Parts: sequence; C-alpha cells; structure tokens
Amino acid sequence: MQMNDSQRIPASREQVWAALNDPAVLKQCIPGCQSLDVTAPNEMTATVVFKVGPVKATFSGKVTLSDLDPPNAYRISGEGSGGVAGFAKGGALVRLESQGADVTVLHYDVDAQIGGKLAQLGARLINSTATKLAGEFFKSFADVVSAKAEAG
Amino acid sequence: MNDMTPTREQRSAALEGMGCKRKRVEDIRFTQGKGNYVDDVKLPGMLHGDFVRSPHPHARVKRIDDSEALKVPGVLAVITAETLKTVNLAWMPTLAGDVQMVLADGKVLFQNQEVAFVVATDRYAADDGINKVIVEYEPLAPLVDPFKSMDKDAPVLREDLAGKTSGAHGPRKHHNHIFEWTVGDKELTDAAFKKAEVTIKEMISYHRTHPSPLETCQCVCSFDKIKGELTIYGTFQAPHVIRTVVSLIAKLPEQKIHVIAPDIGGGFGNKVGAYPGYICAAVASIVTGKPVKWVEDRIENLTATSFARDYHMTTEIAATKEGKVTGLRVHVLADHGAFDACADPSKWPAGFFNIVTGSYDFPTAHLAVDGVYTNKAPGGVAYRCSFRVTEAAYCIERAMDILAQKLNMDPAELRLKNFIKPEQFPYHSALGWEYDSGDYHTAMRKMMETTGYAALRKEQADKRAAFARGETREIMGLGVSFFTEIVGAGPSKNCDILGIAMFDSCEIRLHPTGAGIARMGTKSQGQGHETTWAQIIATEIGIPADNIMVEEGNTDTAPYGLGTYGSRSTPVAGAAIAMAARKIKAKAQMIAAYRLEVHEDDLEFDIDGFRVKGLPEKFMSMKDICWAAYNSVPPGMEPGLEAVSYYDPPNMTYPFGAYLCVMDIDVDTGVYNVRRFYALDDCGTRINPMIIEGQVHGGLTEAFAIAMGQEIRYDEVGNVVTGSFMDFFMPTAVETPHWETDFTVTPSPHHPIGAKGVGESPNVGGVPAFSNAVNDAFSFLGSTHIQMPHDFWRNWKAAKQLGAVA
Repeated sequence: MQMNDSQRIPASREQVWAALNDPAVLKQCIPGCQSLDVTAPNEMTATVVFKVGPVKATFSGKVTLSDLDPPNAYRISGEGSGGVAGFAKGGALVRLESQGADVTVLHYDVDAQIGGKLAQLGARLINSTATKLAGEFFKSFADVVSAKAEAG
Repeated sequence: MNDMTPTREQRSAALEGMGCKRKRVEDIRFTQGKGNYVDDVKLPGMLHGDFVRSPHPHARVKRIDDSEALKVPGVLAVITAETLKTVNLAWMPTLAGDVQMVLADGKVLFQNQEVAFVVATDRYAADDGINKVIVEYEPLAPLVDPFKSMDKDAPVLREDLAGKTSGAHGPRKHHNHIFEWTVGDKELTDAAFKKAEVTIKEMISYHRTHPSPLETCQCVCSFDKIKGELTIYGTFQAPHVIRTVVSLIAKLPEQKIHVIAPDIGGGFGNKVGAYPGYICAAVASIVTGKPVKWVEDRIENLTATSFARDYHMTTEIAATKEGKVTGLRVHVLADHGAFDACADPSKWPAGFFNIVTGSYDFPTAHLAVDGVYTNKAPGGVAYRCSFRVTEAAYCIERAMDILAQKLNMDPAELRLKNFIKPEQFPYHSALGWEYDSGDYHTAMRKMMETTGYAALRKEQADKRAAFARGETREIMGLGVSFFTEIVGAGPSKNCDILGIAMFDSCEIRLHPTGAGIARMGTKSQGQGHETTWAQIIATEIGIPADNIMVEEGNTDTAPYGLGTYGSRSTPVAGAAIAMAARKIKAKAQMIAAYRLEVHEDDLEFDIDGFRVKGLPEKFMSMKDICWAAYNSVPPGMEPGLEAVSYYDPPNMTYPFGAYLCVMDIDVDTGVYNVRRFYALDDCGTRINPMIIEGQVHGGLTEAFAIAMGQEIRYDEVGNVVTGSFMDFFMPTAVETPHWETDFTVTPSPHHPIGAKGVGESPNVGGVPAFSNAVNDAFSFLGSTHIQMPHDFWRNWKAAKQLGAVA
C-alpha cells in the first residue's frame, strides 16, 4: 500500500527538522503511541495501539531513522508485531521544502505492509485507515510544530 | 376381496418407496433444533484446544516461547512440532501421497498455518493462552503467483523435499513442482490442430474458492488410558477412512479406535480430509488423559482447511468451418498450495479432469496437468463436485461458447452438432472414460423449447440494437451449459484411497415385526440419506420406508465404507442397498415358498409380498415373512433375515443436464440480475423427486456464489484477504435467484436401480451457465473471455475496458 501527500507548516525548515528528530514530538503525534524510547542514535522502540475495522492490537517494534539529510529529508521506518493480530511494517520518505522563512511544506511518501489477521479482516479498510492515520500524524505534527514556533 | 382390501396403487403408495416425494425424516429433529452435532458433544472433564497460527505466508520459525502462555489460568499444555516429534506425528501423510506439517516444523508455508496447539479448560482460556505464546519469525519471500512457481529463481518452499526428483505421481521438474499428469494422444491431437480449419485458444481460470459449510471442521478426541482406546467424534464425510488413517499414523490398533460422525451441518468436500486439528486433539487427549475438543472458527475454516479449485486451464479446440470439433488440447496449471493435500483417489492427481471432453464427440484430445506449490493453504477438495469435474465442465463449456463466438454460431446449435449421439453409448471418450448412457439431444431440445430459447435470442438481438442506439444501458446474456458429470467413484480397478478400493456397503437387518435397520458406509451431511435409503429398501423388499431406520457414521456398527462425497453415495452405496435387499428378498422367497407350500419358482414378488403365480389369493406379505424368519424357517435354513453387501461398481455413472441462465447487466454499475435460471437434470432413476429438487436448489445456489463472487483471494504478499463472510460471498435468500427445475430420465444400465447421483450436478453445470451468461452479455462489445468471479466491480471493469463505460 502506498500513499503520498504534503502538509504546510507555519515554521522554518530548521524548526520542522528539529521536531522531526524529537522523540517527544513523535510520541505525541503518532496516533495510538503508548511509548517511544530512544535505544541508540536514530533508533527507537515503540508501542502503538492500532485498530483496523474489528481488529485492535498493541504493536511493539522498532523505529529507525535513516538516509538523514539535515535539514532536508530522512526516511522513517518501522516494523512491529501485534501477536495474533498480525504484523505491520512500513516507512515514509519525508522531505522538507522551504517556502520562505516561516513556512515549510512537508512532503511524505509512505509505503506500508500489513499481515495476519489485520490483513484478513481489514483488507477493505486498510487504505482508508492508513490514509486517515497518516493524515492525523502529519496534522498533529504541524500543530505541535507551529505551536512551538509561535512559543519559541 | 372385500372393499377394504387396498388396491395395488394404495399398497405401493403405503411403502413410500422410490419415486415418492417422501418428506425428510431427519428434518423432524433438525427443524426443532434437536440435531446432535460435534459441538453438542460435551464429555465430563473435556478440555478445549485452539491454534496459534502464522501471520506470515512464508517464514522461518526461530523460536517458540510458551512460558507466559502456561501461566494463564486454565492453560494446561502448549503442543508444538517438538512435542509431536516425540510421538512421530509432526508430519502426516496426505491423501495425495504428499506429507504435511501438523504443526510448523522449522518453517511456515502459508498464512494461518498451525504453529502451536494450546490446550485449556475452556475455549476462552485457550484463546488467552494463544495471545501469550511468543513466536519469533524470520520472514521469507512469499510465492503467491502459481505462474511463477517454476521460475528459476523462485524461492524453495518445501525444503523437506530437497533433492527429491520424483513424487507420488512421477518425476518433478522443479523444486516447486509436484507432478505432471498427461492423458490422451499427443501426436494425433497435434495433427488435428495442424490441419484444423478453425482453432480457438484461451486461458480459462477457475479461481480458488472454498466449500465453506456453515458448520466448520471440528472434533472431540477422548483417549481411555486403561483400555487404550481412542474415541473420535468428528465432522467426517468418510469416518472409516479417518479410522484407518488414524490407526496407520498413530500406530493404534484399528479395533481400539472408535470414530463417530454425528449430524453434520454441510460438508461439500471440506470434511473429507484429515486436518492438523484432529491430530492435535488426539495427541492432547493422550497426553492429558482427558477428552479434548477442537472447533474451527470461520476464519480458520476459510483460510486453513481445504480450499477448492485454483485451476488455470489453457484450452484449445480445433474444428471445421461448419463447427464440427476435431480436437481438444488442454494444459492445466494447478495451484495446490503448500502441501499436496488434494482429496482424490490415489491414482488421479488431477481427479477425473479427463472428463474435459464433456458431452462432445472429440475424435482426439490431449491433456497435461502440472501441479505446483505456492505459499497458500493446502487442499484441492471436490467442492460439491466429483473430483475436479467442475473445473473440467467449466473449461469445456466456456471453450465451446468461445468457439461458437468465433464461428458466429449459436452456442446451443454448436453443442447439438457435436453431442455424442444416443446410439454411441456406451461411449469411449478420447481421454479414456466409458460413458454409460445418455440422450443429450432430447435434454437440450427440451431445455430450448421450455425456456423459449429462440425468442430469448431474438429479445437479446433487439436489446443489443437498443443499446447501440443509446436507448438502454442494460445488456442481456444467455448462458447455455450442457454438462456431463462423472460420479460414483469408483470401480476398484482404478479407484482407491490409501490402497482401499472405493466400494461402499450396506447391512440390512429385518426385525420380526416387519421393521428393520440399515447401516451404511456412507455419511449424510444434509443429503437426506435417512429418507432416501429407506425408500430404496421399501421398493426392493416391500417394507414401508417408515419401518426402516437408517444409521450412519459409527464405525463400530456400520460396515466399512468410503463415505459420502463426489456424488458417490447413490451410485455406489445405493447399489449396495439394492444388492443387500435382493439377498434378503431371495431368502424371503424361500421362506414364503415353504410357508405357502409351493416351489419358490412358483412365486412372484408383488409390491409388498410374494404371490403364487396364477393364484392371487395365495399371498404372504413381507411383514409375515419377517415374523416367519424368526420362528418357522424351512428345515436346514438359518433363522433371521439380514444381509450385507459390499458393492464394487463396474463403472462410474454419468449424469448430465442442460441449463440456461438469463441475465441482465447494467454496464454503468456492473449490477446483474439473474432474470431466469432453468436447470434440466438427468440423474437416471429418481429416488425422491423432492430431495432431488432440494439438491439442485442447493447446488445451483453454490454455483451462483462461486461464479458471481465467492473467492479465496490472496494479495501479492500472501495475505488471505477474503477470510470472513464480510469478504467471502455467501449468498442468502436475498441474493439467490429463483430456480426452475426439470428432468429427463436415462437410467444407468449398470446400476442395480439405474440411479446416477445428482447432488453435485447443479454445481458442475451451474457455474458455466452463470459465467457463459456474463460472457455472452459482453461478447457483442468485443470480448471473448472474462475471468470469474463476476462480481459487480469486475462487471463494471469489463464494461469499462470494452469501452461501454466512459
């Protein structure tokens, strides 16, 4: 499954980049995120509650940042297992485009894969759910960053 | 005779024998909710088992940790392949000569494969335990597309077969190849194609689907440690075969295994095979010393126990310009999933697919089938059809329509031109079968006259013209299908399962008061055997059907039989009933002769007793003969009146039928409406017309489901995406069309009562009728073949591709 979109954020590219690398911000913005702990530079472990249609499960797994090109782009990828509910893995290529000193456009290009019961029961819902979750993440990310920029 | 003496018609009617629309006796309990199914079996101290299943279609199993699961209150044991290895049961043989993992042994090969079996005091605790079993997987590249199975760089699925260049059915060409099966004369067929005036070629797929009985597969295993006896209650279409298989693989003496199949809520082929659940429940009972129940849920049933079909059939017909067929060439790519657990008689790796010449007189034909492994669930059962017969019927019936289209001929006319003629029976087909009897022209013409076929074609032409003028957005299709089935497996010369010939059996015991019991090797899953078997006995012996109790499903009391599937019950066991009844009748005649003081040759059977020829007053009823059998038999004769017959059929039977589907499709939405469906079936002698009609209704409904949407679909990474009734089409009364049924009667010449079997005909003939209707509707827009299933979305997509929708 693939999707891409962009989000306009009223903050400078450097501010956005900093937030993208801040586990506290990520934790706040990932829908259903229960915990996010840094285990090594650019590596985190996460616990996320994920719900697709009738299946709800707690996923625990690894989140990795790679292909870092500060302050322009990186790749965030993760994979997690939800026990009997199945597994999910995927990533997003995130690219920042400056549109003036206080405006940044965040482009994202997501590919994701699910397996197990999630895929069996949720196949028809997965695209809309994923689009919704990605939208939620980047929307709250934009909100958090712009609030920080205003405060800062 | 006084006025109270019943007439011959009244006496005959009182028997409720063959030809009577006798009401189903089993329905007295079913309609009151008093059936007794496996899930109703509740034994003292019974435990419940359930599976940890793989979310991955292909992965290495690195580690299984059950320590947390064992801490869950109520969880008693977690069984893994390592546990099973201690009793040599980590793998089990399949009916197709392959082996199959009972629990994942180092690797998983399909999504939802059984990985561990959690045993607990109740089902809830077992499910909680499953959530706590930690399995570490290393995902491997999945192989989903069967057309890529034999690619050079295709992943190796079956590491256990490494280095094995031959399997149960001959040489293997590739590490994911199972078998190649060829039939027919290749040279002659190639020559026919070389000089053909007209040829067609099409890849016709029959998608993967599932029998999906409403009651899923289940069992209760109870091991008595003191007696060393194992009792298995299970949803078994073939209980004796299960007993023998369990004895062979669990090394238990066969007399100490008691298999009981209680009432079964539909089978359709799904309940023929042996599944990991049965083995695990048995082992769990042996380990714990308590009865263990295993009941599949719906997702497990759809995704793990035996699928059906998944045949990709490249089909070619050679013909003259006038439409006379001269050759048939078919290559099948058969997707068997991760293990070859196909339920076919041993010598038939592709079942009876060589019935693919259908109802037509092909002078020559050649067939090759390649079976391959993929990362999908194992199976390949005959879903309401004889072994691979519905695939064959679909293949030839689609191909004949494609040929008709190419020749610009009416598909019904093309069929009439090529039918095997009545005088050609018994007919030897180019691919090796001997068709017992048939009158195809009469059946086809009756269908055409009854439905007003010519007028429907005229209406279709008018509608197409109106569509071209832009006056309607609806297109109309006529789906003609004329099928020949091959059922009643089968003669011991070519049919066996695990070396056991595919006979079937009946034991009849008559009681002193003119009643009796018939015990059978078959097992009804809804076919109404308790009703129809008694009707055969009633006509044969002259005891009212109501006085005969039919018992099936207990291997301790029933004579050995190969079970119920492939429309074999009436052709094989139905014959055994008649033969056992005739043995009884012969003894009854001797008793009657003795009591009436005449020579037995002077007696003739008359409905419900024996009469002295020429002396109508001298009569002894079967009821009286039954009494006499227990107190005054002729000197030297043993008392009692019972007989057993094991019937080895001399040939298969070949039911046939002519179907027509009239369908309208809205091109803008893809929504179809089955306006009319007419089904004429010829199943030879008809035992109970009401039950036949019910069988036809059920089979047509399943055919409708399959053709119009029912599918087990995998996504490109090996997830089953149709794992519940939300996505797997199960028609209800809302979607199901109205069925018109009709018949002709062409008895089987070799069957004692001339019956051929009917349970599966409507599925075999129905699927091509629906698909041909859709294809016929779209054909004038330029398409030759649209793959099934024909759901609304695919119809809309077809319309779009053909330019009918902007």
